[in-house]
Amino acid sequence: MSDVLKIIAKRLGLGFVTLLVISVIIFSAVEMLPGDIAEAVLGQGATKENVAAMREQLGLDRPAPVRYFEWLGNALTGDFGQSLVSQKPVSGAIAERFANTLFLALYAALIAVPIAILLGVLTALWRNSLFDRVANVATLTSISSPEFFLGYILILFLSVKTGYFPSLAKISADMTLWEKLDRMFLPALTMVLVVVAHMMRMTRSAIINLLASPYIEMARLKGVPGWRIIVRHALPNAWAPIINVIALNLAYLVTGVVLVEVVFVFPGIGQMLVDSVTKRDFPVVQACCLIFATTFILLNLAADVGAILTNPRLRHPK
Amino acid sequence: MSESDANTSKKEMLLEIRGLRIEGYSDENWTEIVHGVDLDLHRGEILGLIGESGAGKSTIGLAAMGFTRDGCRISGGSIDFEGMDLTTASPDELASLRGAKIAYVAQSAAASFNPAHRLIDQHTEAPVHYRIKKRLESQEDAMELYHKLRLPNPKEIGFRYPHQVSGGQLQRAMTAMAMACRPDLIIFDEPTTALDVTTQIEVLAAIRDIVDQFNTAAIYITHDLAVVAQMADKIKVMLRGEEVEQAETAKMLEEPEEDYTKSLWSVRSYKRQQKPRPSGTTPVLSVQNVDASYGEIPVLQDVSFDIYAGMTVAVVGESGSGKSTTARCITGLLPPTSGKVLFNGEELPSDYKARSKDQLRQAQMIYQMADTALNPKVKISEIIGRPAYFYRGLRGAELKKRVDELLDLIELEPADYYNRYPPELSGGQKQRIGIARALAANPSFIICDEVTSALDQLVAEGILKLLDRLQKEFNLAYMFITHDLATVRSIADEVVVMRQGKIIEQGPKNEMFTPPHHPYTDLLLSSVPEMDPEWLTTVLEERGVDNIGEGALKKT
Amino acid sequence: MNDFVIGYYALLIGGSCLAAYYQKRTPFLLLFSLTLASFIMGIIGGEGALWFVTIVAGIIALSAGTSYAFREFLSIVLPRDMARAIRTAPLTASFGIFVVMTYAIAGIFAPVIAPFGEAEVISSAFAPADETMLLGADQLGRDMFSRIIYGARNSVGIALLATFIAFFIGAIAGLMAATKGGWFDQIMGRIVDVVMSIPSIIFALLLLSIFGTSLTTLVIVIGIIYAPRVFRLARAVAGNIVVMDYIEAAKLRGEGTWYLIRKEILPNITAPLIAEFGLEFSFVFLLVAGLSFLGLGIQPPTADWGSMVRENATLVSFGEITPLIPAAAIALLTVAVNFVVDWMLYRSSGLKE
Repeated sequence: MSDVLKIIAKRLGLGFVTLLVISVIIFSAVEMLPGDIAEAVLGQGATKENVAAMREQLGLDRPAPVRYFEWLGNALTGDFGQSLVSQKPVSGAIAERFANTLFLALYAALIAVPIAILLGVLTALWRNSLFDRVANVATLTSISSPEFFLGYILILFLSVKTGYFPSLAKISADMTLWEKLDRMFLPALTMVLVVVAHMMRMTRSAIINLLASPYIEMARLKGVPGWRIIVRHALPNAWAPIINVIALNLAYLVTGVVLVEVVFVFPGIGQMLVDSVTKRDFPVVQACCLIFATTFILLNLAADVGAILTNPRLRHPK
Repeated sequence: MSESDANTSKKEMLLEIRGLRIEGYSDENWTEIVHGVDLDLHRGEILGLIGESGAGKSTIGLAAMGFTRDGCRISGGSIDFEGMDLTTASPDELASLRGAKIAYVAQSAAASFNPAHRLIDQHTEAPVHYRIKKRLESQEDAMELYHKLRLPNPKEIGFRYPHQVSGGQLQRAMTAMAMACRPDLIIFDEPTTALDVTTQIEVLAAIRDIVDQFNTAAIYITHDLAVVAQMADKIKVMLRGEEVEQAETAKMLEEPEEDYTKSLWSVRSYKRQQKPRPSGTTPVLSVQNVDASYGEIPVLQDVSFDIYAGMTVAVVGESGSGKSTTARCITGLLPPTSGKVLFNGEELPSDYKARSKDQLRQAQMIYQMADTALNPKVKISEIIGRPAYFYRGLRGAELKKRVDELLDLIELEPADYYNRYPPELSGGQKQRIGIARALAANPSFIICDEVTSALDQLVAEGILKLLDRLQKEFNLAYMFITHDLATVRSIADEVVVMRQGKIIEQGPKNEMFTPPHHPYTDLLLSSVPEMDPEWLTTVLEERGVDNIGEGALKKT
Repeated sequence: MNDFVIGYYALLIGGSCLAAYYQKRTPFLLLFSLTLASFIMGIIGGEGALWFVTIVAGIIALSAGTSYAFREFLSIVLPRDMARAIRTAPLTASFGIFVVMTYAIAGIFAPVIAPFGEAEVISSAFAPADETMLLGADQLGRDMFSRIIYGARNSVGIALLATFIAFFIGAIAGLMAATKGGWFDQIMGRIVDVVMSIPSIIFALLLLSIFGTSLTTLVIVIGIIYAPRVFRLARAVAGNIVVMDYIEAAKLRGEGTWYLIRKEILPNITAPLIAEFGLEFSFVFLLVAGLSFLGLGIQPPTADWGSMVRENATLVSFGEITPLIPAAAIALLTVAVNFVVDWMLYRSSGLKE
């Protein structure tokens, strides 16, 4: 097992370094503002006194590396500084919205993952059949449609014309779970449509790849029945690609919500990011970007570790 | 086995294929790849199916199980196995035959065992599924079979995973797996092609033994005549999806009827006289005490040999012996960690990037796989013309004249080949273009890396003759890398035997092929199959079953 | 039960019977399962649902017909070897080519086709469609149809430009890394890993918030964000080529990196690179549309599909489909490109499946 541990430790170390580099990128992006952050925020109406006061407040007189480590240290303890617009701490606003976004992503994932994997396996088994071709065209269409297109179509047909579901996903903490699920159904469905298409295609090609391996042919030539080939010969080797597909799509769910949140006016972190980009509220932008990037990297990391753990060659070393 | 030959006609018929046609799907069309083949197999009989790649051997082998790969279909004929026509049988009926009555042994055992399960669990799968044996019974039986196949630690080896077992052992474990239900017929699909000769002999001996013991019928598919001569009662020769001829093994070897079959036999007759070293000259190439490593892992240790002008030095060894690595050190692709390479007495910079244009020009290379050695998207004229332009600055009419000259040298009609692309040529023609590209640089030394091993026998012979003629004409020095001792016999002047990155023995060819040998050379020489049906029996008698293959390797 | 419903079921059942009689398995299964599905949908959704099915079927039949005719047309017009490839192409691919060509024509000849200018205010806000205005007016009273035509030029043009930049940077770096190997390859690989571990839309938002939303920055930012993807692909396909013996032979001859890339590697990877260009284009196009939709991409008054959806989004809550038209235009082009790419990938994969 020590080999596996070594590989995993190496992968985790790499992920940690990546995270660090990304925090540097996010921090230094703001440093690259023409002039500096104070001038950029205050814009045309800036007087010398204003700018000086703001510089003082943000501590811009100290060198960048010092401020970076301070920022990173604070971020690790959950303190992302103050919003330039509302003058309130960033963390408080973000925490609630991030929870909402994760809830939405989870909601969509719980619907999408089982459907996608089932359909993906079926299209792989019945490849080149009518079902497979229709699925191919349908998934391509779904992947190619911008999320806001799907979102507005759903609003038009399932909300405005028929009134089955609410079109705006405004939720608050005091709602019951059932109420929340009802309000969030359309945004979740939009994301399900996109994610199922992606996952189905990835699952299909992973399974087809697997079924082409010589040991599957060997199993067929041994007279092993079809269901047993899938369960006993394909599945144990399919974990790595399937875990990979799931993690990639969860990562997509968490980051792809930005557009969906805007369409449905959902109080999530994505909409907050878009708002603060428009208002040039840099501490909030930095915080949101850091959170998104971290989630994305952690999910990819989880996929890699999962793939290593399920690799029979690594599990049973020589 | 020869006693059983006479009896086969009285034996019960097991498999009867009539007019089998198989189509393959390519370029959006179904094209026929097997054109009406007949095949008879009696109980306990072994049929050798031989032919070049693309002859349709494996396709027929699989069809004998009622199986076609994706993109293939049976379009005509009948396959009668014990009274059941496999072309019309239902999928369920077919599935109930496979593994139980007909078993399959694939070329690549490493890829054909499921990496997720232990060997013995894969072994017991079929017998338990068919309710022939209980799991424990079947495990006992597996150990018994492992013992019979002379696998080390038969009680324990089955509980390992495929990647924990060596290639030769896996191949035997797969044979054991095929035997698990005691089938009536086993299809062996090139079971030893991927193995080294010293491992191959062990697997061959084990397979022959066990098939004999259980009186199982078999179809043995291979491209190697000498191998099939050891295994088969009768041989069927295939060419492009059609049968050329069929006869009993002894008869087929002694008096083949068809020209094609004769051509397969003929190559072994080509032999060239050994040349002595020219006296009083410095060697063209001198490798002196070279060590090399890939990262931390040492791959070459203290390698030294000389090659003189006009001479051929064959470097022989099995996979992993370091013969190709030596070539990489000479060409400068892998700078040695110590030692030096002298060219006409001058030391070459160890990295090719540091070498002068003239130093690069002097040493050229011809590759094993002509498919990957020629850029498929570049015209022949450009492939051959580029070195002439690059080193000598020839252009226009001069360049064209030079290319024509080179095409003449390799016996291809310039006008026909000038504007063509590599994929339009046959394997032998491609290899000739590779030779022309090397010649275009006017080298004094050429490395030939397994140049004939991917070619059919007759074509290979043509290439060897061409190389020999060019050597005389231009006084070229050759370093000939090969694992095939027959090729060494026919063209080498001196031989270097390598193993595990070291030189075991070196000297003039005639000396090397006369005893006494170094034990490893002896093992290598005795492991190469010969075109004599009694060869394997004789070797086993001479050396003893424990003195071949991995067992013997450990002792050397 | 009115004439429509009776006709609807008569057609489906009649069709199923005919297909069954002539033993056409696939059409029969398709028609009859549609019949069964219609029973259920008719019960739940009433006549409306049946109309919906009819319209969808009509659209599919119409596009299939167009694609079929267009494929035949191409196979007659094009030179011999291209015609052979076209003839075996699936209908989806010829549909894709047809759509892409239509968009190209609309984009190139926009001023000729569009009846009004892209920023020309000609009537009141949200005016309904009439004879002069095919699709009505937008929130400022500009002609919707004209803006959609101009949008083909602006939205597609910017996405194309950004894709070209991404390809230029990514492909050259990827080919260099594959050919040179060693530390250059290592370092480039690490940089790309890091850049790609930031989700593209988040990265775009971060950079746009810093550098502003002018067209130049938009194109450059997106080009830089997508270059690593192209790098990975170019590195991977070129990686399969550089291990070939002919590359080794050329290296040992003393050829330089640039010769290797241009003469030995590029001719062998054009097919996958072109397919990848299509794929990247659709990603970039969707990203630009998304950013414009968020108000951070192409800025008004330039006509652009993403921003048009945003500006007219309120109409959706009144049950109007007008704001969906530019969104549909985006989807249609992306689908079309993906259909063509799918076919090209299938061809270049050598029919592996």
